[in-house]
Amino acid sequence: MAIEARQSKEKYPGKLIAVEGLDGSGKSTQIRLLHKWFELQGAKVFRTEWNSSEMVKSATRRGKSNEMLTPTTFSLIHATDFADRYERQLVPLLKAGYLVLCDRYVYTAYARDVVRGCSHSWVRGLYAYALNPDITFFFKASLETSLDRILQGRPQLKFFEAGMDLRLSTDIYESFKIFQGKQFEQYLAMSTEFNFTVIDANQRVEVQQEVVRKLIQDQINLPSFIRRQHKRRRR
Amino acid sequence: MAAPQSNPAITPIVVPNPTRKRFYGKGLPGIDLDSLTGALVVVEGADGSGRSTQIKRLAQWLEASGHATVSVGLKRSGLISEELDHAMEGKLVSARTMSLFYATDFADQLETRILPALRSGSIVLADRYIYTLIARGLVRGLEEEWLHNLYGVALVPDAVFYLRVSPEELIQRTFAKQFELDYWESGMDFTGNRDMFESFLDYQTLIQEQFEHLKGIYGFTILNGHRPVEVLRAQLQRKIEGVLKGRKSTLTLPPTA
Repeated sequence: MAIEARQSKEKYPGKLIAVEGLDGSGKSTQIRLLHKWFELQGAKVFRTEWNSSEMVKSATRRGKSNEMLTPTTFSLIHATDFADRYERQLVPLLKAGYLVLCDRYVYTAYARDVVRGCSHSWVRGLYAYALNPDITFFFKASLETSLDRILQGRPQLKFFEAGMDLRLSTDIYESFKIFQGKQFEQYLAMSTEFNFTVIDANQRVEVQQEVVRKLIQDQINLPSFIRRQHKRRRR
Repeated sequence: MAAPQSNPAITPIVVPNPTRKRFYGKGLPGIDLDSLTGALVVVEGADGSGRSTQIKRLAQWLEASGHATVSVGLKRSGLISEELDHAMEGKLVSARTMSLFYATDFADQLETRILPALRSGSIVLADRYIYTLIARGLVRGLEEEWLHNLYGVALVPDAVFYLRVSPEELIQRTFAKQFELDYWESGMDFTGNRDMFESFLDYQTLIQEQFEHLKGIYGFTILNGHRPVEVLRAQLQRKIEGVLKGRKSTLTLPPTA
């Protein structure tokens, strides 16, 4: 494909690290800890979350709270959010030699939108311009563990989050479980295709973080990302 | 007022002969194409091409002939039009983001307005459709393949007309109305030309080149928009009469769909 061919030619000095996994897999905790670790070393680092572009956010919120979104518009609004962050932040930061940490990347769309019934090739085509991450960590917790973590801490589920638009069940908890289960299947199927680095997310936070930091040290030359100290010139 | 070609008071009402609809690409999930018994007619063209005038007259004529009509256009969805306006005010959006904003707006209107209207058997008159959006994206350097995939959700209309008017004439018509060129219609976001007059001419020329190119792909009809309003109206009316009789459409699909 023309779009992919162009992508492989572009080599940026930065590194793109993505985390993926179900809600409740602990991926956000892990990437936050990673972010802290990089910061403390004085590295040039930036962390971004799925669905966080200031410009698109209000539309997503309105669409969600009024339950106005169909699978297609749900998909497109998230693709808009991604494009905005990608072109205004991710690419320029990678060009400037940053470590860019993405809490969820295009694989989230591949999993969710396909479960919602959008065509597999259409969804992938929407993100065809996006670079493949240098490392994608897939935090693989058992479905039960993920569900427990979410359902214990935050019993109030939102409509789209629970996949209620798919009419999987009239019970919001039951719907959430089925929806998460279907996404889990998608993640497993993508795991080899996209060469995910699988982390056993059933383990303790510290154990996982240890593994993640080690893997990063093996693959990324961290000292090259340390911010240069600009010496103040005295007059 | 336009003089009707025939007197609707004595013309018998023609019940349209629906033809089976299809999507450009993968389409939308869960749509029964056989339920879409109405017709979708698209008029494309730059601001000042006479697009809106023709659509108004077509709507009058169709309703006078006994057909329920629904008008749609770009940027009218309640879902994101506010954000789109905001983004355009600040002019801080990339071509791809803008393209996706418009695509979201388009898909929302397709699902909430166009398809329900077609299901109820109405004639939908679209004031611009995906072709303008694709042309704008192509001019700004987005990949053709990406755009064709993106708009693979769109329904293939029953007829598409592009009103071609030279950029010089567009300027005259725009000034005759409002003495001012539009920032976006002048392509000020990307031509790099600070001279709005020149930027407008350059940009509209590029857009027209893309429409010529897209005609080769989608097979729509290009009409000479320099012809008098009445002549064009009669031409459009004749073609739409054919659509209502169930004449097979000449539209084609992009190769990668």
